[in-house]
Amino acid sequence: MAKMRIMLVDDEERYLQTTKKLIEKKGFEVLTAQSGKDALEKLKLQNVHVVILDVKMPGMDGNETLKAIRTLYPLVEVIMLTGHATLSSAIDGLKSGAYDFLMKPADIEIIIEKALEAFEKRQRLEEKIRIAQAKKYMRSPREILKDDEE
Amino acid sequence: MDKKKQKHEEKRGQAKRSILINMIIVPFIPFILAIGVSFYFFTTALENNTTSSLKRIVGDHRDMIESFLMERKSDLELITKIYSFKEINSNKAIDTIFKNLKSRTGAFIDLGLFDSHGIHLKYSGQYQLRGKDYKNELWFKEVMQNGYYVSDIFLGYRNVPHFVIAVRQGGAEKTWILRATIDTLFFDKLVSQVRIGRTGESYILNKKGVAQTGRRSGGIYIMDKDSEFSDFPSLGNNIQTFINSDSERNKYLYATAWLKNREWLLVVRQEKKDAYKSLYSALYISLIIMVIGGAVIIVMAVYMTERILKRIQQLGQEKESLGNQLIRAAQLAEIGEMAAGFAHEINNPLQIIKSEHALIESLLEDMSGNIDAEKKEDVDEIEDSLDQIKLQVNRCSEITHAILKFGRENEIKEQLLNPRHVIPEIIHMIEKKAMVNGIEIIIHISEDSPEFKGDPSQFQQVMLNLFNNAMDALSEQHGSSGGILKIESYKNNEGFLVIKITDNGAGISPENIEKIFSPFFTTKPVGKGTGLGLSVCYGIIESFGGTMEVTSEQNVATTFVISLPAIN
Repeated sequence: MAKMRIMLVDDEERYLQTTKKLIEKKGFEVLTAQSGKDALEKLKLQNVHVVILDVKMPGMDGNETLKAIRTLYPLVEVIMLTGHATLSSAIDGLKSGAYDFLMKPADIEIIIEKALEAFEKRQRLEEKIRIAQAKKYMRSPREILKDDEE
Repeated sequence: MDKKKQKHEEKRGQAKRSILINMIIVPFIPFILAIGVSFYFFTTALENNTTSSLKRIVGDHRDMIESFLMERKSDLELITKIYSFKEINSNKAIDTIFKNLKSRTGAFIDLGLFDSHGIHLKYSGQYQLRGKDYKNELWFKEVMQNGYYVSDIFLGYRNVPHFVIAVRQGGAEKTWILRATIDTLFFDKLVSQVRIGRTGESYILNKKGVAQTGRRSGGIYIMDKDSEFSDFPSLGNNIQTFINSDSERNKYLYATAWLKNREWLLVVRQEKKDAYKSLYSALYISLIIMVIGGAVIIVMAVYMTERILKRIQQLGQEKESLGNQLIRAAQLAEIGEMAAGFAHEINNPLQIIKSEHALIESLLEDMSGNIDAEKKEDVDEIEDSLDQIKLQVNRCSEITHAILKFGRENEIKEQLLNPRHVIPEIIHMIEKKAMVNGIEIIIHISEDSPEFKGDPSQFQQVMLNLFNNAMDALSEQHGSSGGILKIESYKNNEGFLVIKITDNGAGISPENIEKIFSPFFTTKPVGKGTGLGLSVCYGIIESFGGTMEVTSEQNVATTFVISLPAIN
């Protein structure tokens, strides 16, 4: 199984650094982004499995970022991190396809736990896709050439 | 507080006084006016009536007496015209003439004939007066001069009060005079026959105030001097009325008229009390009406004032409590919003602290492997310290989460709730805890308890909060036995669902009860409560469209009353 790669998106620089260290210590790969825009840039370059997304951010907020991610990278799972006052926006987030939401302040263990759940879901989904593709290839081997970069 | 109360009392007293005064004076003015005016007109009419009737009587009576005297004079004149001096002077003729005269009127008691020298020539009557010389008597001089005279009452030779009428006939040496004496009793009866009321009477005085007839009520007899005459006002020619009082201070109403060319004064008088009898009864009736009416007005005023004041006070209280509720509701909403924003902002730094803490913890864990025994103690202390940080951060987050709940940002699923099902379910959740603490739970949920609308988990939160508070109060007061928690629900007269939760616990002090629904107000020790429980409950019940109130008597009982609009 591949190593889970997590992207943290939050406007608090210090939070990003510390949490990155903590998650890395648990043996996962971590990317950080300070804004929604930054996150989208980085997603272009690197394959990420789970995004932990703060709902309340200056500029492009959590929900907009979520929508962009779900459109551009439908396979990337997103977990929303929210203060309570924006719970309704977290609910909007779930409706727009977030995997789950967490209330601030959240324990790092719980964040990782949720991230793993999401990662597993993604893994299962990828597995299904692989199986489906394998079936397709068996029917028509030429397809392999078409979707090579995938 | 006391000062405020005192001031309030003072204000109330002032209001009471002014209302009372108005309530009494305003109806009193027209009342007194009506009685006064009617009384005034009645008395003046009565007085006028009395005086004019007295005047009329005295006038009639005067005319009657005058005509009586004139008739007697004409009686004598008739005799002098029919008979000559000789005829009368002849033997016994005067007895026959007197007999004839007496048959005409009973007014005469004797008849006499006089010559021009005043010698009594002939006499018919009961006294022996023949031959007496009257030359120097006043009546003789007068009749010789004027040809006619009616005397005042005098004693004369017979030494009995009487008065005479005399007429002259003939001229020079042949002049003769016929004189008759009027029966005093007859005349007295004639004069005093006036009857007005109980005390009305009439009598005649001469111009010196000497009585010519007696007074029915006594005091003056014939020929007495009337002691009150000097008090009479100066009397003109016409009939006059005046008021005079006698020696015993009884007031009399007088009417007087001159007789006989201002020689005699006819007096008609009546005791004032008697004359104004109906006036006095009118006065008494008016007084009684005034007293009764006044009493009724005062009693009504007092009663109405009490009622008005009670109503005013009631309205004032209602207004005050409504005002307090509005203020509280507005305050709670404002505080809720502010607190929610504030809590959210606190959550961010809390998140960072938590991360930092986790990092330190994991670093310390990594390090603990290669640390020598000496430093082990320090590391333990650091770990202890870290545990505290974790604890305190969690405490903070508990508070912020409670605040955010207070801000009511949760998704609310309103549905119809039946208290007969919902309340027992919630009670079931606390039964174990109650049993452990020796608390007896009494449930009275009446069959007519109506359904209401609300979020079930929120309602549960309210109930559990109240139950837990009650149980804390009970443990504090009774230890492990004797606590009673009573839960009632019923439909009140206005159709609301009422839920009452009563405990016989420690109670709430009056100064605390005012703040009990305010956020962050708690009497529990630090770290044991956020002080948000009841304010959240209050907010929830309000969002259901209901109200929540509390009453408490210290060391006796505390009751929370929730009223919710019923849905039928």
